[in-house]
Amino acid sequence: MGNVIKKLMIGLVVGGALVGFTRVFEFPVIFQMMFFAYAMLGAVVFIILDAPAVKPMSGIKSVGVLVGFYIVLCTVYISGASMWPQYDPEDEKGKIEKILKPKRAATEQGKADELLARAKALDEQVKVLSARLKDLGGDQATKDQAAGGPGAPPATTVASSGDFMKLGEEQWQLQECYNCHKLKGEGGKKRGPELDNIASYLSVDEIKQKILDPKSFMAEGFEKEYEKGKMPDKYKDLMEEKDVVALASWLGTFKNTAVATPKPIKKK
Amino acid sequence: MKMWQRSLVAAFALLALFGGVAYAQAPVPSVEFPYMGNRTAVWVVAQLHILFAGFILGAPIFVVISEWLGYRKQDPRYDRLAKEVTKVTVILYSMTALTGGLFIFVLLAAYPQFTTWLINHFYLLFAVIYPLLFISETILLYMYFYTWDAWKGEKKARHIALGVLLNLIGTITLFVIDGPTSFMNTPVKAEGISPQEFLATASLWDKISNYSWMPLNLHRLVGNVTFGGFVAGLIAAYMFMGAKKDEDRAYYDWMGFVGNLIGVGALLFLPFMGYLLAYELCDYDASICPYMMADQLSMFFEMQGAMIGLIFLGSNYYIWLSMKRIEGVEKVRMTILAPVVMVLLPLVMTKVLTDYAVPDPIALAFLIPMLLAPFTLGRFIPLTVSARTVIKVGFLMVVVGDAIWLTPHGFVPTGAKLVAELELPSDWNFLALMPAKNSAAFTLVFVTVINYVIYNRAISQGTIVWGKIDFISQFVLIFLAFTAIWTMGLMGAVRSLLRKYYHTYNLLPDFTAESFTPTLSYAAWWITGITVVFYAVVSFAILVTLRPSDSKGHA
Repeated sequence: MGNVIKKLMIGLVVGGALVGFTRVFEFPVIFQMMFFAYAMLGAVVFIILDAPAVKPMSGIKSVGVLVGFYIVLCTVYISGASMWPQYDPEDEKGKIEKILKPKRAATEQGKADELLARAKALDEQVKVLSARLKDLGGDQATKDQAAGGPGAPPATTVASSGDFMKLGEEQWQLQECYNCHKLKGEGGKKRGPELDNIASYLSVDEIKQKILDPKSFMAEGFEKEYEKGKMPDKYKDLMEEKDVVALASWLGTFKNTAVATPKPIKKK
Repeated sequence: MKMWQRSLVAAFALLALFGGVAYAQAPVPSVEFPYMGNRTAVWVVAQLHILFAGFILGAPIFVVISEWLGYRKQDPRYDRLAKEVTKVTVILYSMTALTGGLFIFVLLAAYPQFTTWLINHFYLLFAVIYPLLFISETILLYMYFYTWDAWKGEKKARHIALGVLLNLIGTITLFVIDGPTSFMNTPVKAEGISPQEFLATASLWDKISNYSWMPLNLHRLVGNVTFGGFVAGLIAAYMFMGAKKDEDRAYYDWMGFVGNLIGVGALLFLPFMGYLLAYELCDYDASICPYMMADQLSMFFEMQGAMIGLIFLGSNYYIWLSMKRIEGVEKVRMTILAPVVMVLLPLVMTKVLTDYAVPDPIALAFLIPMLLAPFTLGRFIPLTVSARTVIKVGFLMVVVGDAIWLTPHGFVPTGAKLVAELELPSDWNFLALMPAKNSAAFTLVFVTVINYVIYNRAISQGTIVWGKIDFISQFVLIFLAFTAIWTMGLMGAVRSLLRKYYHTYNLLPDFTAESFTPTLSYAAWWITGITVVFYAVVSFAILVTLRPSDSKGHA
């Protein structure tokens, strides 16, 4: 028992020292707690090392201990995994839906689904109209439709320039460009160049060319990444034409000369 | 299980395979699996199949080596170990076939269009090559097992050769089925051509020999040996706990040690094989890398770090317990350079790898002499320390290595949610980068190697008292097998999830509502469930096959 207390005390002292050290260097509290936990793990390891030998077991007792041991392992692994920060799938579902929508529509199944959905919507509209005609008479229903009432078909929206830019920004998020490129001070892990001043060097068409063919331009200082083909050559297959244009147009608005965006060199 | 029963199971599996190929010719609507959903249903059955397959492919590798050692050293313990593990392998072979057949049915029911598409692309492989290999392996395994007693003495070499052939066919089978598996992650591609166009002109070999095929082959091959070794340790632990005679306890203590040695020996290579696979995946498509390490799957890798840390702690603890049963161990000493290098390794290696990334020769010029210093310079330095001290310093460094491996860049599930209160200070960000993680992996490996060197010296200077090991060691063996299987399940889920919302990455989208990244917690529940089912079947197989022979006495 004395051995256990001694090692726990050492663990507490080391853990305390680590907390003090990390606090001095302005580590967030969660990291301070983590380093403390490492110290206590060390104390537990050294307690186990010098623990007295376990006497042999047999029969029902050993089976019982074994089953208990498995239950402990299962509980520790499930609760251990559940204690890490959990990714929320809802964050991703909307994105996936948007990315896959045009692809689904392009498939035979997608086309059939779309036709079915349209037929269903028309059927609903017919039902609503029939009901209204029955209750209010034909005149009233026609007026409602002309005025954009409940029976009216949806108004066609004309995409404004603002919407188009929004679509470009949305593509930046959907295609996760931020994982490699820094923009507006966010994202990027130095895998790709910072893009805040890209419009000073490239036109919208050239940006579009770079997205569709990553080998068309090479950013200065990114020779190694260029040679290794770090920028995926997949967007021409994954993205719709209008999405690429929207993304390129949106990036074409970034002209922040205070940011040292590396100069692109034309390669093709 | 009798021969005819095993044959029946194998026949059903083959029927499922051929039936599946035929069924897949016509597109049909998918079946909805209740409660768990289609993706999880496929996940559970596939993972179970891989666990059984991993064992039946990994175990024969060391079984043959053990048989050969027994023949060469004329030590009957090796032959007994090999035969007992083969008995369990034969039972689990039937389970592999059964779960394989079930896997095809579930896959076809859940994703008929995708399955048809995949089978069409690998028709020759699924309809001819794989079944032929499977049949050959079945015949060879049963021949190997049933000729064990007949082919001894002068015919032993013939039996070992049969075992080598079994392994050869097993390895080819693994490599063949890794073709479509790796293709789903990294399908063939060429610069400037769309994947669909390139696929239309690609040969079967092009599709098989894709980017991640060979790294996956190597990773699985080494992983299977590790897994097989730890399961052999599990068999030994069960039998030790149930042994009535000192003679049996001594034997199963020895078997547990050998199983653990094989498991740990292969485990030492596993982090590097995993690194190679991850490197190739990132090289194939750079966007896979942040998805793994910084975004949706980053916490899966934290959990992996925790599990590998536990495995290294457990395996080194087993060496510590093994040392305690050696008489005369207190006399064993080692150069002071060993603990000095252990302590300095994470610091020096992080610095060197940050400044000169491997394979830069300057990095190797620093690190190789440092790692070899205890062996090359040790004899010239008169200062030595006790084995006990070296091992204890080693444990301290295993904890430090685990700590470095586990320290994340931020306590967030995705980089998008990173805020200052949850992020490492920028001056300390190096702790979350690859040089630090590599140094942690090397520290764990180095400490384990040193511990085995000490153990080797201890057995040459002292006397091992087999059977007298601390009883807790049997729980350590069980823990190692359980944790290794759980980690396999976790990494299997990661490899599969890397395809994101595609059945085949960037080629064939998964339009179902389940094509999102699940939470780590959800994954942990299912991985635990799969591990428990696998464990229950293996435990049953051990009790059924080995207990009767134990009561009758072994040959």
